[in-house]
Amino acid sequence: MEDFLNLILEPLTALFLKFKVFVPNFLAMVVILLIGILLAMLIKRFLVKLLTTINFDSWSDRMGFTKLMRQGDMWSKPSAILGMIVFWLLIIITLMSGLSALQIPAIDQLVNQFFSYIPRLFSAGMILIIGYVLSGFVSRTMLIAATNSGFHYARLLAKAIHTLLLVLILAMVMEQLQIAPSIVLAAFSIIFGGIVFALSIAFGAGGIDAAKRMIDKEAAAEQKGKTEDKIEHI
Amino acid sequence: MKTASFRTEVREQLKHIGQADIIVGIPSFNNAHTIAHVVRAVQAGLAKYFPEHKAVIVNSDGGSIDGTMDVVHSTSIDDFSAILLHHRVEPVSKIAFPYSGIPGKGSAFRTIFEIADEVGAKACVVVDSDLRSITPEWIELLVKPVLDGGYDYVSPLYHRHKFDGTITNSIVYPLTRALYGKRVRQPIGGDFGFSGELARFYLTKDVWETDVARFGIDIWMTTTAIANGFKVTQSFLGAKIHDAKDPGTDLSSMLYQVVSATFALMETYADHWMPIRGSEPVPAFGFEYTVGLEQVNVNTDRMLNVFREGLMNLGDIWRDILGSGDFNEVERLGGLPDLEFHFPVGLWTRVVYDYALAFHKKKLPAEQLIKSMTPLYVGKTASFILQAKDMLQQEADAEIEKLCMEFENNKDYLVNNWK
Repeated sequence: MEDFLNLILEPLTALFLKFKVFVPNFLAMVVILLIGILLAMLIKRFLVKLLTTINFDSWSDRMGFTKLMRQGDMWSKPSAILGMIVFWLLIIITLMSGLSALQIPAIDQLVNQFFSYIPRLFSAGMILIIGYVLSGFVSRTMLIAATNSGFHYARLLAKAIHTLLLVLILAMVMEQLQIAPSIVLAAFSIIFGGIVFALSIAFGAGGIDAAKRMIDKEAAAEQKGKTEDKIEHI
Repeated sequence: MKTASFRTEVREQLKHIGQADIIVGIPSFNNAHTIAHVVRAVQAGLAKYFPEHKAVIVNSDGGSIDGTMDVVHSTSIDDFSAILLHHRVEPVSKIAFPYSGIPGKGSAFRTIFEIADEVGAKACVVVDSDLRSITPEWIELLVKPVLDGGYDYVSPLYHRHKFDGTITNSIVYPLTRALYGKRVRQPIGGDFGFSGELARFYLTKDVWETDVARFGIDIWMTTTAIANGFKVTQSFLGAKIHDAKDPGTDLSSMLYQVVSATFALMETYADHWMPIRGSEPVPAFGFEYTVGLEQVNVNTDRMLNVFREGLMNLGDIWRDILGSGDFNEVERLGGLPDLEFHFPVGLWTRVVYDYALAFHKKKLPAEQLIKSMTPLYVGKTASFILQAKDMLQQEADAEIEKLCMEFENNKDYLVNNWK
C-alpha cells in the first residue's frame, strides 16, 4: 500500500517541487513585464515630447520621411510613429527578458538568439535611414544641377539615380539582416547589372540616333550659349 | 578676435613703414595680366590726390602661379610728369604677399583690415585686381568722403549696361534696400572705401572661419556697415569694365554665393531690419557722366528654355517653397509664348521673400535651396531683357525702381512670416 502511495505521491512531489521552482520565476517574469511595460510607456511619452520640442516632425517633412510614411499608409506624426516603434521594441525586449526569467532551456536559446540579432537589426535600421536620406539628397542635387545646366532629361536621370541607390541600400539592409544573403546578392547583381546592360543596349544600339540627336542638341545649345551670352550677372 | 599673425618679412616691412594714413588693398588670384594697370592707377591716384598722406598698397594674393605678386613688385610709374605737374618725392610703399586662412576673397580682405589696423590707417580702399576701367580718380572718390567728409563707408556707383548686374538689380539691391532702408545701389560692387575705424570693427566680427572668408565679403561689408549705424555714402566711378569672367563659372554657384550670403545676413540682423519700412536715399559723390558701354548679347530663347525646364523638373520643390497660389502663377508663365513672356514684379518679390523664408526655416539644405532658384532667376532676367530691349537706360532704371518699391511695399509679408 505504501509503495502504491509512493508511486502516486512521487510524481506529485516532483511536480510540486518543479512548481515551487517555477512560481518565483513566473512571478519574476510578471514583475519584469510590469516594470518593462511601465518603463516603455514612460520612455515613449518622454521621447515623443523630446522629438516634438526639437521639431523632429518638420525635419522629417524636409527629409522626405513623412512622404515615405504616407506612401506606406501611415498617417500619424513621425514623432508618434518613432515613439511607437521604440515602445514596441522595448516591449519585445521586456518580453524576452521576462521569458528568460522562467529559465526554460528552449526559451533561453530563443532569447539568446534574439539578443544576438539586435546589433544587426540596429545597424540595418541605421543603413536604411542614412541611406534613404543620402539617396534623396544625391538625387535632388543631381536634379537641380542637371536642370540648371538645361538638361532635358534631368528628372529621369534623378529618378534613375534615386532608384539605383535605393536598390543598393535595400540589398545592404537585407545582407545585414542575413535574409537569404546569397539570393539577395544574386538578385542585386542581376537587377543592377541588368539595368546597366539595358541602358547600354538602349543607348548604344536601339537609341543610337536619338542619343546622337540629344548629344548634338546639348552641344549646340552649349556652344550657342557660350558664343552668344555676354551678360554679367553680378 | 584673433590677433594678426603676419609672416616675418611682412612684419618687417610693416615695422619699416610704421604709421600710414591710407591703405589700398588689392586682392588677387592669377591676375598678372591686369593687375599692373590697377597698381599704376592706384599709385597715380595717391600721388595726384593725396601727396601729403602716407599710403601703402597691399596686394593680398590667394596663391597665384602666374607671377601676379612679381608684377605688383615691379610695377611703378616711371615718369609722373606725364600725369602730374607736381608729384610726391617719396614713392608709395607696396606690400605683396600670399594671405593665410581659408582660400577666398574674404580672407584676403581680412589681411588688408589687419594691416590697416597695424599701421593705424585713417582710410582704406579695396579695388578688384581685374579692373580695366579704373582711373586715378577712383582713389580720390573712394578716399575723400572718408578723410574729408566724415563717412565710414563708400560704396561704388557705376554706369553699367542695362542688362548687366542682373543679380544685383533683381535681388541684392531691392532686397538690401527694402530690408535696411538705405538705397545703396551697388552693395556688391567690389570696390569700396572705408574708414580705419570700420576696418577695426570688421575685425571684431567672428566670421573669418565661415563662408564670409570664402565668398560674400562684399555684401557682408555693406550690410555690416549699414546695420551697425556707420555713415554710408556712394561715389560715382564711371564705367566698370573688367576682365572677362572665367566662362566655366557656373551661374547657379554664383547665385548661391551671393544670395546665401545675403540671406545669412538676414538671420544676423533680423532685429535690425524687421521694424524698418520704406527707404531713404544715400548721398552720392562724384560727377555723373554718361559713358559708351559695350554691346551685351543675350540669348533669351535659351534663358526661357532653362526656365521651362526648371518648371518641368523642379516643380515639386517650387510648389513647396512658393505655395500653390504663386506656383500656379509661375506655371502659367511657363505656358506663355516667348514674346509675351513677362514675369510680374509682384510675383518676383514674393519668390525672393519665399526663398528667404525657406532659407530661414531650413526647408532644404542651403545650397540645394538657392540653386533651385536659378531657373526662376533666369526667367525673371529673360523677362526684364525682353521688356527693356528697346528702352533707354533711364527707362530701364525706372523698371528697377518699380521693383524696389514692390519689395518695400511687400515687406510685411516677409516680416509676418518670419517666425
